[in-house]
Amino acid sequence: MSSAAVGAVIIALGAAASLTGIGVIVLGLLGRRPGWWRETRGLVWAMLAMSTLAIVWMERALITRDFTIRFVADHGSSQTSSIFNVATLWSALEGSILLWAFVLTGYVAAVVVKFRDKRDDPMMQWVMLTLFVVCAFFFLLMVGPSNPFQSFDPPVGYDGPGPNPLLQSHILMAFHPPILYLGYVGFTVPFAFAIGALVTGRVGEGWLLATRRWTVIAWGFLTLGIVLGAWWSYETLGWGGYWAWDPVENASFLPWLTGTAFIHSVMVQERRGMLRVWNLSLVVATFALTILGTFITRAGVLESVHAFSESSIGPALLGFFTLIVVVSLGLIAWRGDQLRSPGRIDSPISREGAFLANNVLFAAFAFVVLLGPIFPLIVEALNDDRISVGNPYFERMTMPIGFTLLFLMAVAPVLPWRKASPGVLAERLIWPAWMGAGAMVLSVLVGARGWAPTLAFGLGGFAGGAALRQVVLATRRQGWRGLVGRTNGGMIVHVGVVMIAVAFAASNAYVRQDTFLLAPGQTASFAGHELTFEGTDFRQYPNRSERRVAIDIDGEQVYEPGIALYPFAGQRIGIPSVRSTLFDDVALSVDSFPVDDDGNETGQVVLRVTVQPLIVWLWIGGLVMALGTLLAVVPGRRRNPTAPVSAPLPGAEPPATAEPVKELV
Amino acid sequence: MTRRLALWLGVAVVALSALVYASVDEGAPRTDADRAYAIAKTIGCPVCNGQSVAESNASAARNIRVSIAKWIDEGRSEDFIRAELRSLFGDDVDYTPSGDGVTSLVWILPVVFGAGALAGLVIVFRRWKSEALLDASDADRALVEAAREARDDG
Amino acid sequence: MTEPPAAPPRRTAVWIVLPLAVVMAGFIVLLATRDSGDTGFESFDLEGKVAPAIVGTTLDGAAFDLDDHRGSFVVVNFFQTTCIPCRQEHPELVAFQEAYGPSGFATVVSVAFDDQPNNIREFFEQFGGEWPVLATDTGPLAVAYGVPLVPESILIAPTGEVITKLEGGVRMADLEAVIGSWQEANA
Repeated sequence: MSSAAVGAVIIALGAAASLTGIGVIVLGLLGRRPGWWRETRGLVWAMLAMSTLAIVWMERALITRDFTIRFVADHGSSQTSSIFNVATLWSALEGSILLWAFVLTGYVAAVVVKFRDKRDDPMMQWVMLTLFVVCAFFFLLMVGPSNPFQSFDPPVGYDGPGPNPLLQSHILMAFHPPILYLGYVGFTVPFAFAIGALVTGRVGEGWLLATRRWTVIAWGFLTLGIVLGAWWSYETLGWGGYWAWDPVENASFLPWLTGTAFIHSVMVQERRGMLRVWNLSLVVATFALTILGTFITRAGVLESVHAFSESSIGPALLGFFTLIVVVSLGLIAWRGDQLRSPGRIDSPISREGAFLANNVLFAAFAFVVLLGPIFPLIVEALNDDRISVGNPYFERMTMPIGFTLLFLMAVAPVLPWRKASPGVLAERLIWPAWMGAGAMVLSVLVGARGWAPTLAFGLGGFAGGAALRQVVLATRRQGWRGLVGRTNGGMIVHVGVVMIAVAFAASNAYVRQDTFLLAPGQTASFAGHELTFEGTDFRQYPNRSERRVAIDIDGEQVYEPGIALYPFAGQRIGIPSVRSTLFDDVALSVDSFPVDDDGNETGQVVLRVTVQPLIVWLWIGGLVMALGTLLAVVPGRRRNPTAPVSAPLPGAEPPATAEPVKELV
Repeated sequence: MTRRLALWLGVAVVALSALVYASVDEGAPRTDADRAYAIAKTIGCPVCNGQSVAESNASAARNIRVSIAKWIDEGRSEDFIRAELRSLFGDDVDYTPSGDGVTSLVWILPVVFGAGALAGLVIVFRRWKSEALLDASDADRALVEAAREARDDG
Repeated sequence: MTEPPAAPPRRTAVWIVLPLAVVMAGFIVLLATRDSGDTGFESFDLEGKVAPAIVGTTLDGAAFDLDDHRGSFVVVNFFQTTCIPCRQEHPELVAFQEAYGPSGFATVVSVAFDDQPNNIREFFEQFGGEWPVLATDTGPLAVAYGVPLVPESILIAPTGEVITKLEGGVRMADLEAVIGSWQEANA
């Protein structure tokens, strides 16, 4: 049996397991045998085993250069270094779907383990049914339009082209996609619980507590994945950019926005028992947006540098997206009013009021980020005009939202629930406010100008001050425990967000770029830096040759940007080199090596120099956010989860929130 | 009390003066290269999916970069350069959507959405504040009962 | 309709979901019917306008000015030595120039597109062609003629106005046809 056939059998077995799972649960539901879903646990392990085997089988083929599998023949190469050889799996469509399926089955198995005690909970069968359907979709994708194990008959001496050179030029590429997928796919679990809650009508807080930590973990991975992606593009593309508001970047940002909104508004539900339907909708929207994002990335509908070449899985993904939307909207229309909660809000100036404002802002943010990329399609459909909606639009539209969010980040953490008095606010906010003012003065002193960035720094200082105040108070009260738990971890995440916001504002406002023609020994002065061209160097590698130039920055250290030539793919790839300090970054890339009229190289180099302040804080901020997320999922001191969370109704039973949630957490 | 007031007044004065100074003082003058780069960032490369001419190394992008620099050298305005590139390569090279016709909707819709969401929030607040508390229905009671039993069993 | 007035049934969810469903349906149809994000830059605004100036030094070191060629048809050919269609169209241009160049009826002018002089010299040595070739600082020329990709050829009338742009490789017959119909229209 050929290796391709073995792979195909593995995938088919996985698909069979997922379909059997659906069948068993549906039969159980029809026959009113709620226990049947438990029998599907074995099928979950089978799915996990098959997706693991498929990954192992594919990696084996990549590592041993088994070109009888078409995917390896198309994307593998004997010249690729070993780490990127492993990463080749997610450098192209079929492999990335395989990775998706693997992560998904891993999550499903984790659900089965985590909720093994919830044997007779009728909600669990709907949860499992939803999970099986999602798994079946991805397995069937691999059976049909995105089959990773197509066979290939390699000619004697055949060698593949290797993955796209851009994707094998930086180590971050090995981490960015899997981490992003851990985030994307992780939202499947809360989605399944949301569907289960809607179908069974059990939208007490039980399902929320059960899935809150899953959501936070997925969100943390997504955050890290997005930041790593930005870092990767900054390090490899060489034009000093890290975020271009490209459709694919926006596609990964959308579930992040709705997920962030959910993480905040879910706290209102926990404390006050309100916003149930809204929270369900956010969970559903987040998952739907991950599928939509995959569609946008993979179907080539929108123009993007990231888009894989057009593929045949577009219709399948769009169909699946439609199914999700129809089922979810139908369920919400059916159950929505029934699930309304009897809570009330006393004052808009309260923690819950701030969370509501936060949700409106995130919704508006998501609306802008979604409208921008699809608007050209709408215009083209309406009157055949071709227009672009690019970074100036997003920057202009999201700036006021960003400012307001920063302001909320400063005020909300110190707001008490229910109702705040001005005196309390004035007292709690005064030191954060001074931090904000101090940040503005500092930025003016170091030469920053313009109202928008200055305001951003001020609000950043304000929000950062408020977050730090909470952390300081918590650690003073509880020692190291003041750093863990959701609230405290959340404040650390806020600190990371502030770092990113400030770095984003600064780098956007003060980026400078120019090109210089330098002969050996010549020095260029740019944005306060001295760049001396010391000479060129030629290096030969198995799969590429590199021309590097030695550039001395400020007489301190030599950096070596260059150009790599991949003869097999016929591609020229820039190799940027970046000097990072806490204050600013100098990014160097080689534009060209000039030649004279006779085609002889002049020995000169055309060097592109980009100087941006505070870039490093984007990555530090991202890591701080990831760290904060980690701290947030570490259990802090546990509040009794069955304690009533909303005001008791006059003359009524204790609220319906008193569900057996303890075992779920 | 007066001390706190003084602290807040102080913070307001400091922040406002920093903000005013930063907006009024122009700082270092922008060079031609800065201006060219600022425009190039907002012009799409006609032949490379979704990259601006500042980012792309395609021939067309390099040509446009050179042209932008040349125009700026000739003292042309940013509006002139944008209009010229739009007429030569099509409206979609300009990353800034125009404000007229159907295209203006891209600017208006988010504002409408934001205003609608805000209005919705206000309405919801009103209702929440004035709403008589709902009575639990029989279904609710049954649910609670079931939940309690489940808890007691567990 | 007969429920007690104290607890009127709420239908809020339905009223929120319905318009949302309509919007989503439109959205999905939109995504389904847009086949791909291909970049088509079909707009060409120069037709009928005075051709943008072409002034420079040719590969041979001679001065070139498009205005000197008033009275002849001019084919401004943008090309790159590494582009396959450019190589394929080249013999057609050679034939065209041989047929109409000597009489002064028409001439070809080649403008290099982000290329290097030595490559261009080699190219012309290999494939032939005797006409002015502009090789250096041609970026702004390509922009002035709205050329994003090569090969593209712009046909200029003896009056100095732009007749049309031919995208992709040209054939001699196409050039003749365009010239013929222009002559008919302006007879």
